Amino acid sequence: MNNLFELWKRIERSSIGASVFRVGFPRSGLDRARAMVSSFFLHIHPARVNRRSLAPTTTLGLGLASLYLFIILTATGVLLMFYYVPATEHAYDNMKDLEFAVTAGQVLRNMHRWAAHLMVISVFLHMCRVFYTAAYKAPREMNWLVGVVLMLLTLFLSFTGYLLPWDQLAFWAVTVGANIAGYAPVIGEQVRFVLLGGNTVGQSALIRFYTLHVMLLPLAVAMLAGLHIWRVRKDGGLARPDEGPRSAVEEFSGEDVPQTKTYGLMELAHGTTTAVGAKPEDEVSSWPHLLFRELVLGLAVLAVILALAVLFDAPLEGPANPVKPPNPAKAPWYFLGLQELVAHSALWGGVIIPGGLVAALLLLPYLDRSPGGVGVWFSKERRTATTIFTVIVVTLVVLTVIGSVFRGPNWAWQLPWAVTQSVH
Amino acid sequence: MAISKEGDSSPAVQRRRFLALLTGWAAVAWTSVSSAVAAVRFLIPNVLYEPSSRIRLGKPDQFPEGATFLEELRVFILRKGNSYRALSAICTHLGCTVNRVASGEGYFCPCHGSRFDANGAVTSGPAPRPLYWRVLALTKDGRLLVDLNEQTEPDKYLVV
Ligand code: HEM
Ligand code: FES
Repeated sequence: MNNLFELWKRIERSSIGASVFRVGFPRSGLDRARAMVSSFFLHIHPARVNRRSLAPTTTLGLGLASLYLFIILTATGVLLMFYYVPATEHAYDNMKDLEFAVTAGQVLRNMHRWAAHLMVISVFLHMCRVFYTAAYKAPREMNWLVGVVLMLLTLFLSFTGYLLPWDQLAFWAVTVGANIAGYAPVIGEQVRFVLLGGNTVGQSALIRFYTLHVMLLPLAVAMLAGLHIWRVRKDGGLARPDEGPRSAVEEFSGEDVPQTKTYGLMELAHGTTTAVGAKPEDEVSSWPHLLFRELVLGLAVLAVILALAVLFDAPLEGPANPVKPPNPAKAPWYFLGLQELVAHSALWGGVIIPGGLVAALLLLPYLDRSPGGVGVWFSKERRTATTIFTVIVVTLVVLTVIGSVFRGPNWAWQLPWAVTQSVH
Repeated sequence: MAISKEGDSSPAVQRRRFLALLTGWAAVAWTSVSSAVAAVRFLIPNVLYEPSSRIRLGKPDQFPEGATFLEELRVFILRKGNSYRALSAICTHLGCTVNRVASGEGYFCPCHGSRFDANGAVTSGPAPRPLYWRVLALTKDGRLLVDLNEQTEPDKYLVV
């Protein structure tokens, strides 16, 4: 053990080691802070972090879990790309190859699929936690907006990936999903046409979805997630009840900032920091306290995904058959709440309700300007807001569950355990 | 362009600065807008490699009286004596294939339960539009030709 330590010290101090590690393994408080600031990989963290932000109940780790799932998706996705050809004659066979002819292919495919589903769930839950702790209020309005865009991108990523296996499930889910998009007023039909690159789901749709899925959308998510997490730090760390009201204007004017500490260490230009209004005793250094928790959460997420991937295989139905829709033809599960509504009225389910929800989410931090309840779960001051939000979330979840498991052939009500009779 | 001294704010300089700013921003705006328009236009395909929408079928008398469902094309050929019509079986709701109800009069979509009458009009369910009637024609060699993109009215018959 001691020898290993000595060896590591030697490596650090050798000319090569020193050129790689600026600080070396940090042992003093100052070095710990320096390590965070000077490393490319760590510098998105603050050097010191409030104790409250480290408590598991503050965030439930959901934002970070979303990020880890995204990283797992990128890693497994890039590997899958080595075998996958986005052509209607090959795509389905590639999937079969991955399952039967490629070492670890099935597990990688499973990981990718389950991580995608979980990411939709964890991003949604993360949004709920941000809402319930009023963390979207000033000065974090903009970061909430970035978050809403990230959630839309996550849904779109998942939707574009859904088509790629080119099986019956993929083909009809995307046909139904694209037709829901076609209901948008004025531009709906054009959007559908451009998205599919034609009138029906075929080769042009496949290559378009593929390009979006492996290039454009992951790049957008990576860049916005970077912005999002950087903003968390620049907005003063995670929302806390004791930080007092601050506006975005103050944030940059440099006024009203108590100069109780020096911030040169954090290389901040404007003097305002993670610690405004906080006492130094409330803080601990990010190295190792934050990093350790991040590592544990990362391993936990990976463990869950691996377990799911080993236990459950991602579905693959028969090859896509454009003339034989399955009955019922269902969109991907996270759109089934919408499809359930669309089954009653295309205009309401396809246009008014989803459009209204997205608009409401985007406007939320600007409509709800009261400063109360920040950083507190289900604060009493926000009973109305909490109630409205909960009603919407519960409705959405109930509709999604109904659409997913209570709808059988002919979209008729069916108990989940009833044997589905395929009516083809 | 000459750089005017800081703080020089004679009208001539102000005008020059304004014009320079205007030209500069106009150039930026023009570049961004035209690139964006070109990129969007690029994404709208001019040529589609979808199967042709005009399909040659058999001779008219190969179709029995009543309805014949052409599964591959998702279209019903309806014959009444020597008049023919073609009805698309693609549900106008979300694109499932409709079935003819057993009694023969009307159609039913299994996906979300839309019902259509014999003329394709919606009688119940979420479908927002009637089923599409397709244009039928005769080829030179006397076979039926259906166009799966062209729309027509339910009272237009092809009389052979
Ligand atoms: C790809 C999706 C997303 C990723 C990777 C992500 C990542 C993160 C991370 C790592 C944090 C730090 C704290 C935490 O773990 O909770 C955070 C905070 C935050 N997120 Fe997200 N997020 C995503 C989507 C969203 C969405 C959908 C919203 C809201 C609509 C949102 C709004 C916020 C806000 C306002 C904060 C600051 C919370 C506070 O100060 O307490 N994010 N996000
Ligand atoms: S697709 Fe026919 S009723 Fe929905």
